[in-house]
Amino acid sequence: MSYERYRSGGLGLKTGIALALGVFAVWSLAPIVWMVMTSFMRQRALIVRPPDFSPASFTLANVTKIIGESDMLWQGILNSAAVALLSTAIALALGAPAAYALARLRLPKAGAISFLILATQMLPGIAVAIPLFLIISRIGMIDHIVTLALVYLTFNLPIVIWILRGFFLSIPDSIEKAAAVDGAGVVQTFVHIILPISRPPLAAAAIFAFVEAWNEFFFALILTRRSVQTVPLVISQFQGQYQTAFGQMMAAALISVLPVILLAIVFRNHIIRGFADGMSKG
Amino acid sequence: MFVAPALLVLALMLGYPILQSWWLSFQRVQLQAGRASETWTGLDNYIRLFADATFLQAAANSALFCLVEVVLVTLIALAVALLLNHPLGRGGIWKIMLIIPWAIAPVAHGVLWKWILNSNYGILNGLLMQLGVIDSYQVWLGSPVSAMAFLLLVDIWKSVPFIALLLLAGLQRIPQSLYRAAYMDGARPGAAFRHITLPQLRGAIAIAVILQTIWSLRVFDIIFVLTSGGPADATVMMNFMAYRTTFNFLDIGYGAAIANVIFIVTVLLAIIYIRLLQPREPGAAK
Repeated sequence: MSYERYRSGGLGLKTGIALALGVFAVWSLAPIVWMVMTSFMRQRALIVRPPDFSPASFTLANVTKIIGESDMLWQGILNSAAVALLSTAIALALGAPAAYALARLRLPKAGAISFLILATQMLPGIAVAIPLFLIISRIGMIDHIVTLALVYLTFNLPIVIWILRGFFLSIPDSIEKAAAVDGAGVVQTFVHIILPISRPPLAAAAIFAFVEAWNEFFFALILTRRSVQTVPLVISQFQGQYQTAFGQMMAAALISVLPVILLAIVFRNHIIRGFADGMSKG
Repeated sequence: MFVAPALLVLALMLGYPILQSWWLSFQRVQLQAGRASETWTGLDNYIRLFADATFLQAAANSALFCLVEVVLVTLIALAVALLLNHPLGRGGIWKIMLIIPWAIAPVAHGVLWKWILNSNYGILNGLLMQLGVIDSYQVWLGSPVSAMAFLLLVDIWKSVPFIALLLLAGLQRIPQSLYRAAYMDGARPGAAFRHITLPQLRGAIAIAVILQTIWSLRVFDIIFVLTSGGPADATVMMNFMAYRTTFNFLDIGYGAAIANVIFIVTVLLAIIYIRLLQPREPGAAK
């Protein structure tokens, strides 16, 4: 038995693995497939037992109706996009320099500060939600895009710092030494040398922050009223209103998750490396 | 200068509210016509916790939910990670399958499952009926045990991918030379798994367990969408109860006390997590 054969197992094991992979694929995809199918099925095909899967049951009507008529959903998508972009931009602008300093500049207590920042990322929203709600109501900032974007920094800033810090730690010393020999200061080194080579982890951190902000529900529920409802809120309300219009309901949910799913698929390798390293490296 | 803005934001958005939350929890706060009136009550809110049947139920629910979810997620994620570490599971398609459940909004995910579990037209009922497993359509979210079981199923589906990625990264850090040595010594693959893979993966598994516990404690969105805590408060967990007490019942001081219980448990878990991270790379945290 060769080593390769030893590592990948005999025919029996391979068959077992292939079967298990099949089960995993069905488990992962079945709910999603059903969501997509429902979005394209007529109501009368869905409310028979069992559902009617004949070709005549399929239609674009749900999707076109939702796209054409649901101002609420579009408003939600615009609000979510604005909140997520703003929050991500601020998190990167504040987080990248902080991560660099914590990883590379010999700050006193850098390790302790880093771990404190990591710990804040784990705090449940409810631990800060009540005081935040009271303060924000008092200053009249409930239902503002900016409020939500700033509150999302409570989880996005730590994520961004932690992902970028992991990458900055791995940069060889020689790069900074070369920059210092050429007379570059700390700020110049960071802006002209470090940032340009950090595009992949910056992308990972940005996507991560964007997806988290896009999907966030708890703070949005507490801190918004009518005008800046984000997409998850709109979907949860649809569910109350269109309780029995299953096709439209699923079409709306599908449209609401499509942007971040596409982003996640396109950038999957960056994200996977970013979060696997970020969460398990000291 | 580099770190100050970030720390300032975190101190303002997290540090101050945390202190305020403790301050509130020692008071009775009443909202009337949009104004809060506060009366100092000392530890009353915390004492009340121990006599409150709803809270004790919520704490028990949280504990049960966390325990079952952490065990199942870790086991399933370990199996998935091992599968995807095998040459047959290396293709890019498998990564897509892990990343999609992660990226789906918990709310959309909850709404999707509410439709799957629908008691009149849900596909789960349809499927099980066709297969002859059930002889009439079931109200899956209608009884306490089954509602809890389905909440677990739905949250496990959403949580497995992230933990699997964490464990997969751990598997890929195990030096191949160890397996080569085991092969040379004639160890059977099962023995190699027990004596190399599992011990080498211990750190990653410990981290996965802690992180998943923290995440299970704060599950909210799917409860809100799927059961709203029902039937008969059977799926009310601490996080949901803190929300409901504060924002529906407007009992703000008591809500803050419940929130602080979750806060303390999370902090303890976070300390363990950080302890786990540190010794593995002693030079990194300088």
